[in-house]
Amino acid sequence: MPHQQRYNNGSMTNNEAIERQRQYEMFQESLPKVNKILFQMILNEIIPLSVRIENQLTQGNEFQNDTKLDTLGDSSFDKASDLDNITKLKDLSINAKANSETHLGNISSPDDVLIYKLSQSVDENENKYNNILKRIRDIGIKIGTKLVNLLIFTNNINLNFKEMDLLLIMKFICRDVWKHVFGKQIDNLKTNHRGTFYLTDLEYPLLQSFCIETNTIPSQLNEEFILNKESKLVEPFLELPVGIIKGVLLSLGYPLDEVICLATFIDKPKERIKNSFPKGISFHVQITKSFLPQQQKQ
Amino acid sequence: MSKSRSSSLSTHAANLSSKTGANQSKFFKTFGDDIWKNKIEKVNAELFIMTYGVIVQQLCQDFNNDYMKINENLFSMGYNIGVRLIEDFLARTALPRCPNMIMTSEVITKVAFKVFLNITPVVDNWSSNKDTFSLILVENPLAEFVDLPHDAKKQLWYSNIICGVLKGALEMVQLDCDIGFVSDVLRGDASTEIRVKLNKILKDEIPLGED
Repeated sequence: MPHQQRYNNGSMTNNEAIERQRQYEMFQESLPKVNKILFQMILNEIIPLSVRIENQLTQGNEFQNDTKLDTLGDSSFDKASDLDNITKLKDLSINAKANSETHLGNISSPDDVLIYKLSQSVDENENKYNNILKRIRDIGIKIGTKLVNLLIFTNNINLNFKEMDLLLIMKFICRDVWKHVFGKQIDNLKTNHRGTFYLTDLEYPLLQSFCIETNTIPSQLNEEFILNKESKLVEPFLELPVGIIKGVLLSLGYPLDEVICLATFIDKPKERIKNSFPKGISFHVQITKSFLPQQQKQ
Repeated sequence: MSKSRSSSLSTHAANLSSKTGANQSKFFKTFGDDIWKNKIEKVNAELFIMTYGVIVQQLCQDFNNDYMKINENLFSMGYNIGVRLIEDFLARTALPRCPNMIMTSEVITKVAFKVFLNITPVVDNWSSNKDTFSLILVENPLAEFVDLPHDAKKQLWYSNIICGVLKGALEMVQLDCDIGFVSDVLRGDASTEIRVKLNKILKDEIPLGED
């Protein structure tokens, strides 16, 4: 993390601060825990869940269109995968197995089919696509607001919400929020000091286990095509962290309509590409309201 | 260090079927505890509870408190997690196939629940032919701090995602089971109980493209 300075300096001597930091960390360690993989799977599962909800809600209204799409995905996964040039989002190895098995189980269509169909429906049904993105974002916002409550009532010496200006809030997101939810900090924070921030995460954790199933891609297609397709499939997954950022800002006094937050893919340094998702994520956060009174004074 | 230790534990596990019940049960307890302590990355449980709460809340809102639909969706969400989670579980534990449901129940409670949620449910109420049992969740991290509104108490299975996870995971190891809640303290019942019933053992199928 490039920012050396913590939120709270002055008043305490270095040793005191280190000691309290240590106590805080020990306290955090002692809290009840659950498995991180399980938690991340639940976070990722929010996306297919949102698609499923939307499907179920619209089934009543637009009966014809939707059921057609649904039965296609459900009963004949193979047909769906033959459609044009296929890139399916794959969660490493298990899915091939999962697909063949869910035919037997017949409980619901597998996640990757839902996500695949979602990426198709961008063009076909913009309204529905946007509804789904909005739902994912809403869940993120709720998580974000509650998360702030959770983090405020810790004895973290580095947090002092009373004197927090926007920059400190963004730092709070980069360090504490990200660390709690995703287990790592944001790699880089840039700002123009006028309410625009760029948060860069080169290895956004929830995407790292994704990979594209290369044997379903016709070999003549070039890498760029694959990457584009892949990015499209992954886009909905970025709404969740966007929602979380907006939620945190909301509960710290920045209403949703005054905050613009967009996530885009960025290239990452070549040496970091290996064995992980090939793109980094940049979150562009902008506060549109005529701005913080505190900062205007400066 | 922990690697060599666990591999010796796994070889140990391979000989398990010959063990007697009490021994086996004790073994799984230490086995699960060991993995939880040494090989698991963890997150704050409150964050987990809260996130799950948000999901249920969103479902209630979207389906206008149609609790049947909410139960269904929580279940299928769990199912999708289960089919993937089992991979991680097998990779970490390297446990052999269970010869009977008794051992399956031991692995589920003492290893699986321990490794993922850090709890150990109690196995109880075996059917006479030993293919159906109950998991009593003495603690339930999902339901911590949760209080259901009056109308939800009759219909909502708040932690139904657990049943889905079990269903998905067991199906991946060829056990076709019916899994569902029969009681939940959130509904005012005396205990939280999940019933697991083995329907049949599925045939081994080799997925396409894998030799």
